[in-house]
Amino acid sequence: MASKAGDWRNYKRVLLPPVKDLHRLDVYEDHGGYDALRQALTTDKWDPASVTDEVKKSGLRGRGGAGFPTGLKWTFMPPVNPDVPRFICCNADESEPGTFKDRQVMEYNPHLVFEGMVLAGYAMTIKTAYLYVRGEYADWITHMERELEKAYAKGYVGENIMGSDFSMDIVIHKGAGAYICGEESSLMNSLEGRRAYPRIKPPFPAQKGIWNYPTTINNVETFAHVPLILSKGADWFSSIGAPSSPGPVLYGISGHVNRPGVYEYPSGMLISDLIDEVAGGMRGGKKLKAVVPGGSSVPVLRADMIDGVTMDPEGLRDAGSMLGTAGMLILDQDTDMVSFLRRITHFYHHESCGQCTPCREGTGWLENIVTRIDEGEGNVKDLDLLIDLCSQMEGRTVCALADAAAWPVRHTITRFREEFEAKCRPSLVATHVESAAV
Amino acid sequence: MTDFIKDPVVSLPDRMPEPVIPGDELFFTDEEKKQIETWVSRYPTADGAVMRVLWLAQEKFSFLPAEVVQLVANALDMPYAKVYGVATFYTQYFKEKKGKYVFDVCTCFSCQWCGGYDMLHYLEEKLRVHAGETTGDGLFTIQEAECLGACGSAPMLQITNGPYVHNLTREKIDALIDALREGNMPAFESVTLPQDEDELSGNRRTDVDKTTSSVTPPVSETVK
Ligand SMILES: Cc1cc2nc3c(=O)[nH]c(=O)nc-3n(C[C@H](O)[C@H](O)[C@H](O)COP(=O)(O)O)c2cc1C
Ligand code: SF4
Ligand code: FES
Repeated sequence: MASKAGDWRNYKRVLLPPVKDLHRLDVYEDHGGYDALRQALTTDKWDPASVTDEVKKSGLRGRGGAGFPTGLKWTFMPPVNPDVPRFICCNADESEPGTFKDRQVMEYNPHLVFEGMVLAGYAMTIKTAYLYVRGEYADWITHMERELEKAYAKGYVGENIMGSDFSMDIVIHKGAGAYICGEESSLMNSLEGRRAYPRIKPPFPAQKGIWNYPTTINNVETFAHVPLILSKGADWFSSIGAPSSPGPVLYGISGHVNRPGVYEYPSGMLISDLIDEVAGGMRGGKKLKAVVPGGSSVPVLRADMIDGVTMDPEGLRDAGSMLGTAGMLILDQDTDMVSFLRRITHFYHHESCGQCTPCREGTGWLENIVTRIDEGEGNVKDLDLLIDLCSQMEGRTVCALADAAAWPVRHTITRFREEFEAKCRPSLVATHVESAAV
Repeated sequence: MTDFIKDPVVSLPDRMPEPVIPGDELFFTDEEKKQIETWVSRYPTADGAVMRVLWLAQEKFSFLPAEVVQLVANALDMPYAKVYGVATFYTQYFKEKKGKYVFDVCTCFSCQWCGGYDMLHYLEEKLRVHAGETTGDGLFTIQEAECLGACGSAPMLQITNGPYVHNLTREKIDALIDALREGNMPAFESVTLPQDEDELSGNRRTDVDKTTSSVTPPVSETVK
């Protein structure tokens, strides 16, 4: 398989174009900022339905982890009823370990996010949008509030935007530290001033969202694409990168590479290109051991599994993993995969909201048993016990956190079995791992 | 306790423990009340503003004992139990008194493999307290944090829910502690995008004094 990213070496960035001080409103305006919104609100070119159609046509898929087609999601909103309020939520909770791209967009191009949110509001006839930012991003919240105030003053947000009869408010909501708030229904409960327990779905947010009113929720990067799609056209967008999930992608690369950081490139990049050429190769010339391609929840890939694998949902599915948030952790030969898994299980145990028994108890047992193995106190049979535990958690809970906790366990054990066995006490009984996974 | 239960078989939980904030300090100023009103006006119900008001209360009283939770509940006309439920759900709200400076050292996922534990242990040794504890002078608390969304500049820490310190080294920690002892909070540090280094020869922001670029993560000596 070859790269689906085309001539990526000559790719020109659009989400984070190389412009000094683009985060400032005056600079943003000088570089075509709010032009897409102006065209939508003050000319006949775009009526609300055609904005949604254009987003649909572009093939944009959500960048929050699940990869759901954005235009299609917008059509789930019920017909406008003037007596029923409806909302937009921008998900800036970004807490998936290994993910740090949304923070860079909020720091370097916040107006693109605001413009995308207002355009989405116009497309779905929505008057209020909440931008839910994780509480740890306090500094970035301050920066964004300052820029948002300027956007209000210039009439890009607020009453009668650009003299049109469309009005919309953006409210920045500050979280207070809980990974689960990234889950959309938990985020909605958090916004309402409750404990952030996820809700059972259905009903989906478009039917019953915040305060039980119709709500559409998208990720920061997803909204940031919208003004670009309108100003450059759906065809432009869909011609970039992998056809099944097109467009620019922010790859957050961390771990044992020479140049970690957030990079903007077309979707469908080869993992090997991202490591060797984009991120400057492995630290200290060490050998690659493993790649986690999309945040801690997605299955880890062994170095021998990444040959020809591209960063798009289909490419990664065929390789036995998922795109997730495209936050890639690169690990070298010295990494202890048992210790690696131990820290991941600790994370999910800490972050489980505690509503569902399989998740609350299961994540705790995952951590206990992996810790036991890591300390040299485990038995080989514990590995089967862990896989069995995963099967009892997956698909049995209110939200996907339990699955997200189980996948890394299942796949790290099956893919690095020898390493786990080497840390266990020897067994005289035959053991096997039941797993459909590669 | 009512009179007729002389000798309770079980000790009943104290719903309202002894207050620690003196009664005459326990109020919101007019200015703060106006700020709360503005927040409330942004949500269909006042409950939506509870997280912001808890933040305000924590900044003012440094943590959230029961009487502060009650104050927030009164300000928003919400039941105490509901506000208490929110205050205890999120890790950034402090339920007990912490040090003046709280270090949230990320040891999660990427940071684990880029020296996060080295930095945590170095801090523990330097300040002679364990993660979760506060120094005797009440100045520093050390905590182990989950991913703070700065994995590219690992290892890193956050100071008291405020500024991030990226690409930690022992020297950086030494300098940080010295500065904090003098009462100087570090300034905002902007992480330069690697592509900006190539195309803009540095950080794109001209309004920040401190920038840090992506560096090769240190080889960790201790991973746990
Ligand atoms: C446990 C859990 C955590 C999540 N965390 C985030 C997050 O931090 N940021 C985010 O954008 N989406 C997160 N999601 C996905 C959201 O539920 C939702 O699918 C997404 O925000 C939709 O936006 P999109 O369609 O633009 O991707 C999380 C999902 C789960 C199950
Ligand atoms: S799966 Fe876990 S995190 Fe999700 S609702 Fe259930 S207990 Fe909470
Ligand atoms: S893992 Fe430490 S900031 Fe993400």
